[in-house]
Amino acid sequence: MSISRRKFLGWVGAAGLSTTIGKPASAATNKQFAGYPDSFAILHDTTLCVGCRSCETACNKVNDLPQPDKPFTDLSVLETTRRTTTKTFTVVNKYDNPQKSGHPVFYKKQCNHCLEPACASACFVRAFTKTKTGAVVYDASVCVGCRYCMIACPFEIPTYEYDQALTPRIRKCTMCHPRVIEGQLPGCVEACPMEALSFGKREDMIKIARERFRTYPDRYVNHIYGEHEMGGTSWLYVSGAPFKELGMREDLGITPAPELTAGALSSVPIIVGLWPVLLAGIYAVSKRKEKIAQTEQEQAAASALDQDRSEPSQPEEES
Amino acid sequence: MVKGKSFLIGSGILVAIVILFVCFMGPLDVKALSKTPDETQPIEFRPDIVTFDNMEAFGKLEKTKAIFLHDQHTDALEKKNKDCLVCHKTEDGRMSPKFMRLKDVRREELTKIYCDNCTKCHTETIAAGEKAGPVKCDDCHKEQPLIQSSRVPMGFDKSLHFRHYRAQKNKCDRCHHEYDKKSQKLFYAKGKEGTCRYCHKKEITSDGTEKVISMRFASHLACIDCHQKTEAKQMDAGPVRCGGCHDAQEQLKFEKVKRVPRLKRGQPDNVLIKTGDKKGRIPTMMRVPFSHKAHEEYNDTCRVCHLASLESCATCHPLVGSNKNVKNGKEISLETAFHKRGHQSSCTGCHESKQQDKNCAGCHGFMTNTRQQESSTCLRCHMVPLPERTGELSTSKAAKMARLMPRLWKETFGPIYTVDVPKTVIIKDLVNQYEPVEYPHEKVFDTMVKQLDNSKLARYFHYEDTTLCRGCHHNTPAAGKPPKCANCHGKPFNADYLFRPGIMGSFHQQCIGCHQKMGVEKYLSCTACHKERKKES
Repeated sequence: MSISRRKFLGWVGAAGLSTTIGKPASAATNKQFAGYPDSFAILHDTTLCVGCRSCETACNKVNDLPQPDKPFTDLSVLETTRRTTTKTFTVVNKYDNPQKSGHPVFYKKQCNHCLEPACASACFVRAFTKTKTGAVVYDASVCVGCRYCMIACPFEIPTYEYDQALTPRIRKCTMCHPRVIEGQLPGCVEACPMEALSFGKREDMIKIARERFRTYPDRYVNHIYGEHEMGGTSWLYVSGAPFKELGMREDLGITPAPELTAGALSSVPIIVGLWPVLLAGIYAVSKRKEKIAQTEQEQAAASALDQDRSEPSQPEEES
Repeated sequence: MVKGKSFLIGSGILVAIVILFVCFMGPLDVKALSKTPDETQPIEFRPDIVTFDNMEAFGKLEKTKAIFLHDQHTDALEKKNKDCLVCHKTEDGRMSPKFMRLKDVRREELTKIYCDNCTKCHTETIAAGEKAGPVKCDDCHKEQPLIQSSRVPMGFDKSLHFRHYRAQKNKCDRCHHEYDKKSQKLFYAKGKEGTCRYCHKKEITSDGTEKVISMRFASHLACIDCHQKTEAKQMDAGPVRCGGCHDAQEQLKFEKVKRVPRLKRGQPDNVLIKTGDKKGRIPTMMRVPFSHKAHEEYNDTCRVCHLASLESCATCHPLVGSNKNVKNGKEISLETAFHKRGHQSSCTGCHESKQQDKNCAGCHGFMTNTRQQESSTCLRCHMVPLPERTGELSTSKAAKMARLMPRLWKETFGPIYTVDVPKTVIIKDLVNQYEPVEYPHEKVFDTMVKQLDNSKLARYFHYEDTTLCRGCHHNTPAAGKPPKCANCHGKPFNADYLFRPGIMGSFHQQCIGCHQKMGVEKYLSCTACHKERKKES
């Protein structure tokens, strides 16, 4: 059997392609992660929040953060929309209520602790870990300061200590991981006088949210933000106003961030491992072919020469 | 080879041009389209805009609907000492609201009536050297007119009805009529008066032989005609211009009669609402004594309850709702008609809507509106006739009813709330940052009772002396001293009682929630209730 060079290359190409297409992306990760069983979550009911900033105060205290310029009792800071910083892991923002003017809505913003965090998947030194309690924790000792996590986060949460020249860290809410493993409540949850923040097993929090929808159907938008957003988060939100009005992104979809890159990344080993072998093989084959052709040519030339010498030419005069 | 190269260069240039075009022309185009009139000129709002939409009856429109400023035209004609008849024709001494015609005509004819008459007048006015309206098609049929309508619907409330009734010297036949099919004439039937909208619907309706004109047409035909004629007699008359009725500011200027006497339509003062139907089926529920007279005062028109006619409820609604796909009331059972939640025409729906009032929402806001009423509540309306009353209730003679009703209600609107409440309650479950809270229990209670006393409806349904207490002391048997809040509300986030707030949450949710709903601003700062705790030295 003989195959042409062209045909052989065609097969090889097809085989190479088939490893990158035609398979669901999740198959490459070999698992479907729906969160650790019995992991914790926090439910933020914005209809109960009165914007007292007790959670901010508590967060500042339990995380030993520096005192802000304006005291926490000063509610005038709510007039401007704030974001999390290296010194404030959580902020409460005030939004106008489109349904009921004069009754503003308050939304507490902090790390959402995704079930499959984008920051962790972007980090090539594994500085982020999704713990079994639900918290996404950060290890400054391995961090190289690339800030990929800041770009990866769809909620724009991680912040970087640009003012620290020698030991800059990424700062964000820890979901009070150290407190939770000791059996304590997260600082903000414990401090919330309105119980607008509930803490417990994620399934239970979803149950509470659903029960509230059932009891007060007129009061809520029938959606738990974070139940499925970006594959689900450990912070869940219910609201009376559309989430878009609270500056929350509604365009994120339900695919966890790692899954978006898993397909492409899973083909990296194949490309890195297989292509050099393949190309080297092709190179070797063509080299060998050239070599054979050359030897054949040399042999032919040599034999022709030999023949030439053994059979001297006929004298010309013979004809 | 050279040929191929030049082809590549050529196509490359072409692609570049296309890209340039898309990049620069694209946004320009979009900008031109999105240019709204308010960028150049502000939009004017007027109540007198008539949109010529009668062409819609003929299907797809060829042009955008033209808008017409009615009062502007009236003014212009008035200046020239011309009257309405320049544009409107009369029939039987009554001016038709239609433009230059009495009856509906075919499409081509209608187009001609409008285009020809409008442009003719405009051209003549321009020729006379005066300012006039458009003569070109697109000047009337504008894509984005700079003037928009601020017209508000006009309603005939009780006060206005009474003023007309008084002015017409109690002659109902000046407006109310019935239609006689045989003689094809309108006639007045005494005791059959109803609201205009029972017959004159939003659009023209037809029963196959006769057409009933729309409410819009009927009101403009009758109201304006009468107002004009009254004005001609130099008498006090209603508006004839659009803004007179349809301008929000003008409507506020209408004289309001404070105490409108009852309408005389032969309606009863009190009714024993039957729970059976006319076929004599045995009712299972007790009949409901209902004060028709009192409810008349609460509503502005009869239509609030009597949706389609001034007959009794059982005339349209059967005991068992029809499962046929009809829309004449038969599909709605009597039970639904009386108890449907969220519907202003049903007893329960209207009563429940009152719970949203500021004075009631403090407690009722916490209650779910999907909850099942306790069956004892049914008996508040479906009263059990007491033995000595049986004789009286079983005969439904009006005279006896009138005597009976006040007695019935006197007994049911209890002189209640003689409960002993503590003056203050010291709440010290949560002493930490703050001192214990001195809750002025009596003050709160007295305020609630005062507000409750103002509402007859509230008094009627808060009939037990502990009903009011249960607004805060929920899920508690209505007897004796209620348990402490902390007896049920303990540590927060107890997985065994998932939906039960912890002690701190329950206090704040209850107090602040109630204050928010009742508009009591006393929740905006912590120290309004809590005294700062003195540091122990």
